[in-house]
Amino acid sequence: MRKDSHSNLILGLSCVVFALLVLFLWIPLDVETGFVEKVRRKYIIGDGMAPAVAAIFLLIGGLGLVIFERRNADQPAISKAALKFIGAALALLFVSFAIMRYTGPLAVSATNFLTNDVTEYRLLRDTVPWKYLGYALGGTILIAGLITMIEGKITRKGLIIAVLAVLVMILIYDLPFEDLLLPPNGDV
Amino acid sequence: MEVLDYIWLGVQAVFLGPEAFSVLGLPISITILMVLAGFLVGIMVGATPGLAGPVAMAISLPILISAFGYSEDALLPVLGFLIGVMKGATIGGAVPAILFNTPGTPDAYMTTLDGYPMTQRGQAKKALRIAHFSSASGDTFSDVVLIVCAPFLAIIVEAYLDLPEKTALFILSLSFIAAVIGGSPAKGLISTGLGLLAVYIGTGEDFYPRLSFGTEQLASGFPIASAVLGVLVIGAVFKGLEELWLEKRTSGNIAVVQDSGDQRLHVGDIKRLFPFIARSAFVGTAIGALPGIGSTLAATLGYTLGKSRHKKNKEDSDPNFGEGAPEGIAATEAANSSVSGANLIPVLSLGIPGNAAAVFLILAAESIGGFNPGPAVFKFTVDEVNPELVIVFGLFTTMFIANGLNWTIGGIFMRSMGIMIRIPKHILLPIVLLLALTAIYVQETNMAAIGFTLAFGVLGYFMRTLAISPLPFVIAFILGDKLEQSARQAFAATGGDPFFLFTSPVALVFMLLSVGVIIYATRKPKANS
Amino acid sequence: MLKSMFKATVAAVAGLVIATSSMADWTPPGPIKLLIAFRAGGGADTQARLIAEELEASLGWKFIPEQVTGKGGVNLLKALSGMPNDGTAIGMAVTESLGYNLRSANAGLTAADFTGLSTTAGFQLAIVGRTADGWKTMHDVIAAAKEGKDIRFGSMSPRLADMAYLMEEANGVQFNVVAYKGGKAVLDAINAGDVDVGFVAGPQGKGVAAGDLVELASALSKPLNATPDAPLMSDLGVDFDADGYFVFVGPKGMPAEAQEAFGEAIASVVSNPDLKVTKIINKVFGGATTIQGTELDQLLQDGYEGAGALMEAVNQ
Repeated sequence: MRKDSHSNLILGLSCVVFALLVLFLWIPLDVETGFVEKVRRKYIIGDGMAPAVAAIFLLIGGLGLVIFERRNADQPAISKAALKFIGAALALLFVSFAIMRYTGPLAVSATNFLTNDVTEYRLLRDTVPWKYLGYALGGTILIAGLITMIEGKITRKGLIIAVLAVLVMILIYDLPFEDLLLPPNGDV
Repeated sequence: MEVLDYIWLGVQAVFLGPEAFSVLGLPISITILMVLAGFLVGIMVGATPGLAGPVAMAISLPILISAFGYSEDALLPVLGFLIGVMKGATIGGAVPAILFNTPGTPDAYMTTLDGYPMTQRGQAKKALRIAHFSSASGDTFSDVVLIVCAPFLAIIVEAYLDLPEKTALFILSLSFIAAVIGGSPAKGLISTGLGLLAVYIGTGEDFYPRLSFGTEQLASGFPIASAVLGVLVIGAVFKGLEELWLEKRTSGNIAVVQDSGDQRLHVGDIKRLFPFIARSAFVGTAIGALPGIGSTLAATLGYTLGKSRHKKNKEDSDPNFGEGAPEGIAATEAANSSVSGANLIPVLSLGIPGNAAAVFLILAAESIGGFNPGPAVFKFTVDEVNPELVIVFGLFTTMFIANGLNWTIGGIFMRSMGIMIRIPKHILLPIVLLLALTAIYVQETNMAAIGFTLAFGVLGYFMRTLAISPLPFVIAFILGDKLEQSARQAFAATGGDPFFLFTSPVALVFMLLSVGVIIYATRKPKANS
Repeated sequence: MLKSMFKATVAAVAGLVIATSSMADWTPPGPIKLLIAFRAGGGADTQARLIAEELEASLGWKFIPEQVTGKGGVNLLKALSGMPNDGTAIGMAVTESLGYNLRSANAGLTAADFTGLSTTAGFQLAIVGRTADGWKTMHDVIAAAKEGKDIRFGSMSPRLADMAYLMEEANGVQFNVVAYKGGKAVLDAINAGDVDVGFVAGPQGKGVAAGDLVELASALSKPLNATPDAPLMSDLGVDFDADGYFVFVGPKGMPAEAQEAFGEAIASVVSNPDLKVTKIINKVFGGATTIQGTELDQLLQDGYEGAGALMEAVNQ
């Protein structure tokens, strides 16, 4: 990699700072029982001890990077392109899962509106076809979207593959098993 | 109940367990069928570039649990399947390495060095046969060592280690893993620290869920499957997609070389290869028994050792290592395959996982319940049956069934797997992503778990980008709870002695070793990786 | 044994009669989420899942089991309290979760925030030790402690640790109380020699029958089935007992007919001696106990109030 990369130094310092924050801010403020506590007149280890050990691992690791490995040869860094990629991928995933979550309930509301019924998606979450709506649509968008992202263009092939893959997943996860709930049917 | 009774019960649990169907009046148990299924899936997955055994284990686990339920009857079929996958993926990984110069699994990289040149010379089938023979030999040897060693180690641990020593042993394992996995001990420590911190969020003894910012979502902590799958599988998928996205290169045509000449593996070949296989099997087994070092290093070491021996002994006309020497394939494959069995020594006798496959075996045991890998498992109770010990011997039986399958049909099936390379990664990876997230969901049944998994996936992605190995993270996540529990127990049991980790000689030695291994690794940074 | 089987049969027949008469009045409006407060695969989890399976088979109700473990059942109660109370969400925990644990958690919830459906079984909660150590009852252990032996005492919940503490106070001894997660873990620790004695609530049965383990005291208000002569808590100077039951609860304000239908349905399952779940309950948990309706509500309320008294006694 690049010789002038300071990524070990930056990573090490970030870990040191984070570890200190955990030790002196997060643990004192968000753990009730400290490192040791006195219960029934005896000392026992409190809930703060274990996270403190975790923070010490981070601290030593960070210091190790700063002191011993600052000048190591191979220091890959996080590039702008990597951030762009992961940002785009996460945005796509977020949209897919939002669609997965809300398609079913919206469809039920729409049906209610048309038929003057008052039913809830929650009660239909184990009923065909309602229970597949969100997963099928959201899942297809997820797979087709990622394929499109890599290929750089929307192709019919990508779409067909996505639809088929989602169908196969419904076949393996849902049809043989009474107890399994596809997303989002456990939440609603 | 004698030892032999337990072994016999274990064998029976596999062969006479719940019946799938019967052939000519002979009942075929579900466990055997599951080992076979896992083995075939494993070969396929191993042969597919971009996939590896742990991915298949992660995705199939929730399906298996739903199919078999949460009872003791579920343990052997589910663990048998996972062991089948583990073993299948080991030999499957050699296929694309030999045929297409693309390692299907990371530890098959060394196999490409001599395997692909042999393919180019038209000796692909022979190379595959060598890989299969060496892999199956190493694997079987390693299993034998496991079965002989694990019970003794467990009994020693149980007899001589009290609560403080057990705590010190967990600390030693964690610092050892941090120090040896990946090239950088500092990064290993960071990975370990993050894993510990993650598992301590929301857990704890107090009724206020610690480090949860008072939120409902963090109050029950992160599901173990989210953390493990997220960092290991989703992180790898993100990394793979990113590489494709950055390169956007069209895959080049695969040159087709016609096979020519003698493809068979003769007794003479075996005789010539045997010293290489034996030496690598020893190396791999020894390395596998230490938690965390893994098959990639075993392959490297086996290959290097084989190379120096080959240089001294070979005829002038024989190819050198790296130019298509059958000995190179044998040395590599025997070494990386002999890791898997020995890796279960710390898993079964201490409850400490050493590699990703072992992580999923522990995850399966914890999800199903009724079997808690650790020294207590090996209690040879006399008056009553220790069901966990029966399971252990059942597991050993499934390993030998898998080995039997490996020796008989493994080679044939493996040689037909060249086709898997044709599945393009950019289509495979998105499908794997949804499969894995769905697997998480059916297990946890809430969207928050998917969110956590994706967050851990991003963490795994950045860790890979920064060359931080995600394995210490995962192992720390799994061991974190056990470490805290045993520390609390040791502290309470010694009547609140603050120096409980240093008062007994054994614990003191473990603690000194924990510090020593970090210092040693820091002062001698590894050359490779 | 015969007597209890007879009782169970009578209960089953009675349950069936009631079942046919009124159970058709209420059916759940959709699939029922069943939250389980216990680790997957243990005796308690198996019990919950098997009951759900039997109800699916006999009534056609659809259950979706889900593990919500941690904090002694308080995590489950928190999750359950936010769910719809139309009978599509219920949970299985222990009475201690709604009593001591809920009270000490300070989570803004009380036992009154839940609808009791039915208990299924009590516990054979005992202080267990190894036969090899030679102790016959808890009195021997206390005597050994008085002579200066360090006694490691395994406990699986804060409430039990409180009781161990009161035992120390009453007898002028010191134990090193070691916390474990669940009775099975305590039992493993006893077997491994990590602790000397400990609270176990059922899984000790096999070892006691085989003669490897001994029940040194009952932690209940009544004698143990397997060791009726073991001293009770009151014999050891502790004015509290650790009586408790597995209990199905729903969110606050469930319709009365739903509450009744669940209660009857659960009772009819756990009192049918032919079912696998009943066999487990009889073997591990000493037989079915189905407390329901107002009696159950009272029991939960008392458990919540009574927890305060124990805490006070400890903090004195």
